[in-house]
Parts: sequence; C-alpha cells; structure tokens
Amino acid sequence: MSPLIEARDLTKKYGSHVALDRVNFSVESGRIVGLIGPNGAGKTSALRAVLGLTNYSGYLRVLGKEPMRERTPLMRDACFIADVAVLPGWLRVDQAIDFVAGVHPRFRRERAAALLEKTSVRPKSRMRQLSKGMKTQVHLALTMAIDAKLFVLDEPTLGLDLLARRSFYDALVNDYMDETRTILITTHQVEEVENLLTDVMFIDKGRIVLDSSLERIAERYAAVVVGPSELEAARSLRPFHERRMLGKTVLYFEQPDFGRLAAFGEVLTPSVSDLFVAKLSGSAGSSDATPVAAGETTGSAA
Amino acid sequence: MNNYIWLIRREFWENRAIWLIPAVIGGLMTLSVCWGRVHFGNDFFDLNGTSGLPPEFSQYSLYFLSGIVTVIFLVIMPIYAGWYLLDCLYGDRKDRSILFWKSLPISDTQTVLAKLAVGLVIIPLVYVAIADLTTLAVDFIVSLRIGAWGSSGLWNPAAWLDTQVLWLYTILTLAVWYLPLAGWFIFVSAWATRAVILWSLLPPLALYLGERWALGTHVFGSALLDRLGTGYVRAFHVLGDGSVWRDFTTDGGQNHIHMPASVWTLMDPIGFFTSPATLIGIAIGAGFIVAAIVLRTQRAEI
Repeated sequence: MSPLIEARDLTKKYGSHVALDRVNFSVESGRIVGLIGPNGAGKTSALRAVLGLTNYSGYLRVLGKEPMRERTPLMRDACFIADVAVLPGWLRVDQAIDFVAGVHPRFRRERAAALLEKTSVRPKSRMRQLSKGMKTQVHLALTMAIDAKLFVLDEPTLGLDLLARRSFYDALVNDYMDETRTILITTHQVEEVENLLTDVMFIDKGRIVLDSSLERIAERYAAVVVGPSELEAARSLRPFHERRMLGKTVLYFEQPDFGRLAAFGEVLTPSVSDLFVAKLSGSAGSSDATPVAAGETTGSAA
Repeated sequence: MNNYIWLIRREFWENRAIWLIPAVIGGLMTLSVCWGRVHFGNDFFDLNGTSGLPPEFSQYSLYFLSGIVTVIFLVIMPIYAGWYLLDCLYGDRKDRSILFWKSLPISDTQTVLAKLAVGLVIIPLVYVAIADLTTLAVDFIVSLRIGAWGSSGLWNPAAWLDTQVLWLYTILTLAVWYLPLAGWFIFVSAWATRAVILWSLLPPLALYLGERWALGTHVFGSALLDRLGTGYVRAFHVLGDGSVWRDFTTDGGQNHIHMPASVWTLMDPIGFFTSPATLIGIAIGAGFIVAAIVLRTQRAEI
C-alpha cells in the first residue's frame, strides 16, 4: 500500500529563507505521527504544504493527490486544525455545525452534537463569547465528526491552560483514535504527545533530523546513567549527547553496542522528549533549560 | 450549487449589516410618515385633518415615494457593497479564520464567486426588496392618513410590477457594468495585507496623476468617471426620446411626470450587452476576478 503522505525533496522558501530544505518523509496509514521541532524549524511550512495552503517545490502526494492543485477533493478525506482559535468570532456554534454539515459530505452531525454535549458549550453561543479552551473543544468536535482518513493538527494546544490541554488530548485519544485513522500532529511541547504517538519526526532548520517509529527508537537509541568515575570509559563508546544530572551523567547513544553499554549500568530507552533535546541541542531554538556538555554534541543527522 | 447556497448564507451570518442597515432605514422612514407632513414634489401636504391630496396627484405619488425611498437606499447601498467587497477576502485572513474555511472542501473559486455575487447582486436585491416593503408600508400609512385607502389609492399594482421589472433589470445590468470595479475591489481584498481602502484608491489615483503628468492626457480618468457615472443610463434607451416617453401633466401643469409607455420598451439589453464599453468592462473585471482567485489559493492568514 502506498503511503498516505509522501514527500520527496520537499522545499519551501520565503525569499532567501529556506523553511524546508529538500525534505523526504512518508506517513503510513494508521499511524500517529508527531512532527516535532523548535519554533521556526519548518513544522508549519511542512503542514501547510501537506494541506495545500502554500506553494512548494519538490514532490508531494497526500492521499494520492497534489495538495496545492487538488485541495478541495483532498479536504473531503483530510481535515485539519491549524492552530487554535481560528473559528471566527461572529460564528455561532449551531451555525458552524450547520455550515460544515452543509458543505462536508463526510460530516456526521449527530456525532458533533454528542461530542459537544460533553462540554459546557451552548449551541447559541458565538465563538467570541467562548474561552479559548471551549473554542478548541468546538473545533475538535467539528473536526472529529468528519470521517476523514487523515487528521492534521498544528500546535493544537498552543495557548491553552493545562486543564484544557489535557482534555483536548483525552478527547483525541478516547473519542477519535482507532486503527483506521492517521494523525499528523506538530508541536514543540513534546512531553504532551509522546504517549500517544506511534512515530516521531524531528525537524530542525528545515531538515528532518530523525524519522522513526517508537519501536525502532528502542532498538536504535539508548541512554545510560554513569557516575564520574566511569564517565571517561563510557565516553569512549561515542555518545552523541550527554547531560549532567545530580552528579551523574546521562549519555545518549545511537546504534550502540548494547552489550558493552550494559557494563555501565541499566540501559534505558530515552523518552521522546529526552531524545528531542539530545538530537537538537546546540542548534538554535533548542531548549536552553538543559545543560549541554560542550564539545560532545555531534548533532549529526540520522 | 449546494456549496454556493451555504457560502451565501454564511455571508448573511457574518454580515448582518447586509439587511440590518436597509431594515433600520426602512423602519425609520415608515415611522416618519406616521407623523408630520409628507413632501411630494414641490409641495408640502399637512396630512392631519386635510381633505387629502388632489386626486390626480395621488395616483402617481407612488412614483414619488418610490423615488424618495429608493434614492436614499441607493446612495447607501453602493457604499456598503463596496466596503463589503473590499473586506470579504481580507477580514478572514486578518482574523485567521481563513484557516478554518480552508479546512473544508470548498474551492477558492467557489468562495470568491460567492462573495462577488453577494456584493454585486445579493446586496442590491436585499436593498431593493426592503425598499419595496418600505414603499408599500409608507403608501399604506399615507393612504390611511389622507383617507384615500380603498378609494383612489396610491396603490397601483401595474406600476408596482413595472417597478420590480425595472429594478431586476437594473440590478442585472449594473452588476455587469460595475464588474471591473467589483473585480478590482475583490482583487485588493485578496491581495492587500493592510489598509484595503487606501490600496483600493491609491493605484487608480496614481494612474490618473501619472498619465496626466507623463502624457498630459486623462484617458484613464475619464474612462473611470464614465464607468462610475453612467451605469444607470447605459442599459436603457436614451432618456427624453419622445417615442418612448409619455408625458403626464398634473396639478394644472405645474408638475410633469414622465412615464414610460411600457417598461419593456425602455430597456435596451441588446445595445447594452453588445456595447464595447460593456465588453471591455467584463474582460477587465474577469481578469481581476481570476487574479483574486489565484491569490486566494496561495494566501493564508496575514
């Protein structure tokens, strides 16, 4: 089966600024893929290209369609929430449902109504009267009521408080996800999504620096915690990143010799957020909250 | 077709001023004839306790009233329609709701054409419909106040029908005549990232001044004035043609009312639709509209 999304040499330039630099990736059906990167890494450019919202060069097919040229048919099978709070203030909740029901052949009105019933949103409310969290609930209900093959979310919880973020992802996980859905989600808040993803792609400065399923991450990456006395010996195994923590050091390895690593202690599979920090440290826009051992970070692309 | 109906409904939800402005004006005008004097032609009639209008006058007063009502409506309507067209592809980019509208399977062509139709045809239809209602209400009240209801009557069904035919024809032909202006407005609306009003005025002004300064001519200026000023006469036979117009003399010769023998003889659709000015206008308008559609496909939020 051909992938749901296939990009080859996908490039997007804004003047002299290269937002996407000959990016290759593919997304298979039934996966939940996180496109993760710091601000300005090219996440939104990639999504905009996938959704037919922006011009690009290179090869791109989404559900077998060329997004920019075939956005309208594409939007029958794909839906997206590009950023929170894009529902216009004058629109009433019931009008939004009427409109989407009127124009979208795959929209199931009763499902949207059932989803909204779980919230405190009233049908006659205008979007401008709703809090950002409630607006997001409305948008999610509208979108989840569409029987789409691909659901794209661009920073869906930006600006939401913790409760609203949690309820957003709970709704997504409990009411939406099954094996027929494919979800592509961008975020820079890795820790929020890492438990629901099946695949991750790290993007930095317009390039994909990691593209892997979570199972393969366990096979490919490892971390060990070592004390000061063992540090030099462990470093000889060429970690690509290290991080000091409470007097000990966490070393991150790519395709290591697991047998030799085990000699230093328990071999851990790094979490997506740790891997993200490890992979992107030293590059612009990465978290400065994590101390990075100077000179030890290779930052090389996978 | 279904999408167009929803897109037009949507415009009514968003722009309640489409019907609110004429409804308020109509309401105020209706209220105003409940009290005080009514001005017909050059004479004031105090409607309280008089013997009423001269009988030969009252028969045609519908025309005066229609005239007053429609003139007031038609001054406001083009201003509102122009503003609507300038804002229609700009407002949703500014409030970012374009990202919601573009997530639905509606083509940019449908969106642009629906908005153009609202600005050029639907808004004038709403204004004329409400002007009609206002005229009927005003006539009814005036008839009651002068005690003419049911006897002489201001109500003249044939004349009323004639008026409707004339208005529909006028709206249709004016929509074609003003296509280049509407096209320019909707193009600016799709293109500008700020100050749409300024952008709609500056390029024509620059063109006018540039031509005057560089060439010493004013071809563009006079073409623009011609376009703006002659819309109402283009689609009709030349006014004052004795074979078309009948003269009514009322009130001992003080008031002349020009009445067409038949509204159908007044119209000149063949002359209008084959005139070079109309055809050039259609071509220019179509160019702007295509450019607006192309821009719309490539633009997201500002």
